[in-house]
Formats: sequence, C-alpha cells, structure tokens
Amino acid sequence: MLIRKRQGWEIPESQATPEAVYHDRRRLLKAMGLGGIGIGALAAGLSAGFLTGAPAQAAAPPAPPADPSASLYPAKRDPRYTLDRAITPAAIVTTYNNFYEFGTEKDIYEAAQQLKLRPWSIAIDGMVEKPFTMAIDDLLHVMPLEERLYRHRCVEAWAIAVPWTGFPLKALVERAKPLSSATYVRLQTFLNPKEAPEQNQFWYPWPYTEGLTMAEATNELAFVATGLYGKPALPQNGAPIRLVVPWKYGFKSVKSIVRITFTNERPKTFWEVLGPTEYGFWANVNPTVPHPRWSQATERVLGADKRVPTVIYNGYGEYVAGLYKDIKGEKLFM
Amino acid sequence: MRPWLDRTGHLSPLKAIVFAALFVPALWVAGAFALGALGGRPLHAALLQMGVWTVRLLFLTLIVTPLRQSLQWPRLISVRRMLGVATFAYAATHLTLYSADQSFNLAKVASEIISRIYLTIGFVALLGLATLAATSTDAMVRRLGARAWRRLHQLVYLIGVLAVTHFFLQSKADVGQPIIMAGLFAWLMFYRVLGKLFGKGGRVPLWAVTLLAPVASLLTALGEALYFWLKVGVSPLRVLDTDLSLIAGIRPAQVVLAITLAFVAICLLRLLAKPDAGWRQRWRQRLNPRPA
Repeated sequence: MLIRKRQGWEIPESQATPEAVYHDRRRLLKAMGLGGIGIGALAAGLSAGFLTGAPAQAAAPPAPPADPSASLYPAKRDPRYTLDRAITPAAIVTTYNNFYEFGTEKDIYEAAQQLKLRPWSIAIDGMVEKPFTMAIDDLLHVMPLEERLYRHRCVEAWAIAVPWTGFPLKALVERAKPLSSATYVRLQTFLNPKEAPEQNQFWYPWPYTEGLTMAEATNELAFVATGLYGKPALPQNGAPIRLVVPWKYGFKSVKSIVRITFTNERPKTFWEVLGPTEYGFWANVNPTVPHPRWSQATERVLGADKRVPTVIYNGYGEYVAGLYKDIKGEKLFM
Repeated sequence: MRPWLDRTGHLSPLKAIVFAALFVPALWVAGAFALGALGGRPLHAALLQMGVWTVRLLFLTLIVTPLRQSLQWPRLISVRRMLGVATFAYAATHLTLYSADQSFNLAKVASEIISRIYLTIGFVALLGLATLAATSTDAMVRRLGARAWRRLHQLVYLIGVLAVTHFFLQSKADVGQPIIMAGLFAWLMFYRVLGKLFGKGGRVPLWAVTLLAPVASLLTALGEALYFWLKVGVSPLRVLDTDLSLIAGIRPAQVVLAITLAFVAICLLRLLAKPDAGWRQRWRQRLNPRPA
C-alpha cells in the first residue's frame, strides 16, 4: 500500500500544536502572575482558557518540556573538519532515517517522537575505576561542545553531510577512567518497547549494540553528537546522545545511547548478529570491497541528485588509516 | 484489439475497470515522486514500490483462475492477459528505475546483475515475463498452437518462485512482505494441486478451500519462525506465539489468513447469492444497444 509521506517542511500536527500550547502557557502564566507555580496552575490556566472560549488549540494536551539543553546550541564550529560537498538540507536529514526501533522504513521520524528524551542518563560501567551514571544535562555541562561538519556514508550506498554538535568521544573516555585492561568500548541504545514498538519484535537482538576498539574510541575523529544543525538533536537522529564515527558505515554510529561499557571482549553488534556475512565489527568504508548484495564503489548524495565515487575511510584516511596498519587477518571493511 | 473491448468488439465494463485500475499504482508512485513525497532517495523508493507491485500483480494474475472457477465466472478470464502484461510492464519499469538510480551506467547495471545473485534471479524472472508478454497475443497463440502455448506459459509458476525469491533476498532485515507473498504463492500452488486431486474442472470444493486458508497461514508462520530460528537463533515457539496476538504488530501469517479467508468468504457469498444469470447480459445490452 502506498502512504503519502510528509515532507520535511510540513511539520506534523503532533509537533506543531504542543509548541503553540507551550508558548501560550507561558503567556497565560505571566499574565496571571503565576510564573513558577507548577502543573496545577498550568492545568487551571488551560482549562480556564478553554471555558472562556479561547482557541481550541489551547485545550490540546500539554506540551513536552522544551529541551533543557537548548541554550547550549549552537556551539562554535571546529574549523579543522571541512566538507567536499554541500551540507545536506536539514529537512532530509531529519526525515530520512534508519532507526529500526521505530520501524524498518526510512520515514520513522513521526514514530520516533514517542521517545522521551528526559529524564535520560548514561551508565558508564565495566572495566573502569568506578562505574557511574550521569544525567544527560549534567554531562552536557561538563563536556566541551563544538560543531563539526562530517560526511556520513550509509552501508546502503547513500551519503549525507551533517553539522553535528557534540564532543570528542575521547573526552568521555577520559572521564570514565577505564582500566588499562579494557580493549573495547561497547555502546548500547535504550530498551523500551513502550516507546519503540518495533522492540516487541524480539527476534531482533535488542538493545542495539555497537562497539569500537579503545584506539578507535580515542581517535580524535570519534565524536559524540548531542545536536545537529545548531540545535539539540531530534529523536530520529539519535537524541539525546549518539555516536558519530564518519570513517565507518553509518550503522556503527549507534543512536540514543544509555550505556557505555569498557571491556576486554569484542562486542557482538546488532547487525553482526542479524547478518554476520554482511555486516562486521569493523565496517570501515571502502569502495573496493562490495557489500555481498551491492557495490560500494559509489554513493548517492541525498539532496544533490547525483552519485559520486566513494573514498576509502569515507575520505578520513589521514586521521584513521594508521589505526589499522598493524591489524592482520581481520575483515576491516565489512 | 483495444483492451476495454470484449471479443465481439463491445465495451466490457469489467475489462475497462481492470485496465484503468492497472495504471493506478504506477500513477500513484509517479505522483508521489513528482511531489517529492518519496523521501531522501526518491528513485530508490520508486523502484522498490514498482518491484513490490510487480509481485502483487503476478499474484493477481495467478488468482484469476481460482476466482473464475470458484465464482463460476468464466468471463473473468478476459482480464488475465492484461494482468500478465501489466506485470511485465511493472517489472520492466522496476529495472528501468534501477538503471536510473545507477545513473544509467549500463555497464555497472550489467555487472551488478551478473555478480549479485538476487539481481540475477530477478533478471531471469524479468526475461521470463518478457517471453510470456511477447507471446501473449492471439497471433502468437495461433502460431505456437494451444498446447505448446499453454506449456510455455506454465513458466509463470517458475517466474513466481524466482520473483518471490528475489524479493526475499533483497530484504535487509525486515522479511515480512516477502514472507506474505511466499505464503500467498504457496496458497495459489496448493489450490491448483487440490484442483487436480478433488476438482471438477479444476474447481476446488468449498471445504477444501476453507481448509486451505489456515493451512497456508500456518505454513507462513512456520516458514517465518524457521527463518528467524536459523538466522538469529530465537525460539520458533516464541515467534509463533506472536502470530496469536498483535503485540509484535500485524504478522505475515495473519495477513495470509485474512486474504485467503476473504477468498473463502467470496466463494460463500457466491453460493448464497446465486445471482440471476441474465443480469449481466441485460446490462451489456444496455451498454451496447444494438441498432434497431
């Protein structure tokens, strides 16, 4: 069956109305001199507005709280990371997403709005001096936020270029104080079938799990993104916190992380379990190593209506090629 | 002969409606493409949609015979040819869009078809459909002779297997749709086997059609559970359990059950209603009044 797909500029009603209510609430509270009094006053204000014949939208369900980290964006751009192509329009990057927790098609952005972004905390455990859990907003305030322009190459042979905001993974690793025996970092997405209905399909190996070697995780290119396009990230892009490793195929860049574990065992990743002959642990971009079912030689540039040659390590060889020069007998490009 | 006319040259409402309906999916995809409603990779999305519709049209082509027999509606055969030719047209468009997505680099298209087994399978299926479409005219039936023509066109069953296999192999992780089509295809094949075993003129008795619906659904469920067991090692019983509820969404076995039971329901209605045999003729006369 064909379903009309909404464009990026057409804001779904579910998003637009609550925002209006949100602003209206502020105005109402201010007018009544009740600022700072809680939800009860808000409800009273809304119902009073409703009874006195205010616009119907004032009676809509209460809005989700505004992102408490909004004031941190935009962050200063790091000029070292430049692109060979135009930044992909935000309308595409926020509506064309792989996020299997919310559906197997690309248009999951509406379903993904069910993901509650606060409260959100990240557990750091495994081979560390002392395991701890940190609320996302506390973490955001101690991390050095910056903006980086990165190319993103999906294993499905399409590519985007995104201004991410976040901090180097290395900074988080240093804060975690891993033991010297740790050789891998395992990163995991949330597990909550109530918000992400696809997780009821238990034959997928939820929660989504990815991993890097310690050397990869502490490479300067490995980035933790919390925002994009100068704003806090949206759920479909992996809010509130995700990995971005641009020299690897996109599926390595795990979204909506809740747990980071330091270990000396190579993590078994989500796609490795599903398709061990198609998706490996390393998954470094390489145009000369085809996926078993399609060529990786070229990539379709979203929003640009063209196909361009793919470059080894997605063009980031000068940063990362050295990581692999002594590794033998591994399928580095699968 | 124009596709909306019957063999006597009169307008056939049935043929006209089916002919027009065959354009709807393609126009819908084209419209969505033109409106920019197909997402970030519109060519890719369009080629997938056309592929899915090719398999659906193949299913519709193959259900003509069961419907015709069970509904005792011989005239239905008059739309089978256009359904089959449309299946080919959709498949050809599917390949054309694939080539467009490869920027019409035909050398690349050819090397991909040769080196990726699921593309090879799909391409062979398309060659088969092209053969059947090319031999679908009255003149070709006469030239080949009815017997040879029928034998040639039995290739459609093999093409069905290839098409569903191609559909299945191209799936990244979600195999729901191909599993549904495999279940429906199995149902079509079983119907024909039952027709040979119990049928009067190929027509399968109602009890057998009724029994076949849950059997096809169960086979779909077992096939899917087996697939996930082999692929990810999850317990087949747990997968089968989800077929009894909606907790994991609408399941392929449920879709197959719904469609095959709908077929049973249509057969039942036909038995109960027994429409007056003359109504069609009267309607046709009204549409094509003979000059007095």
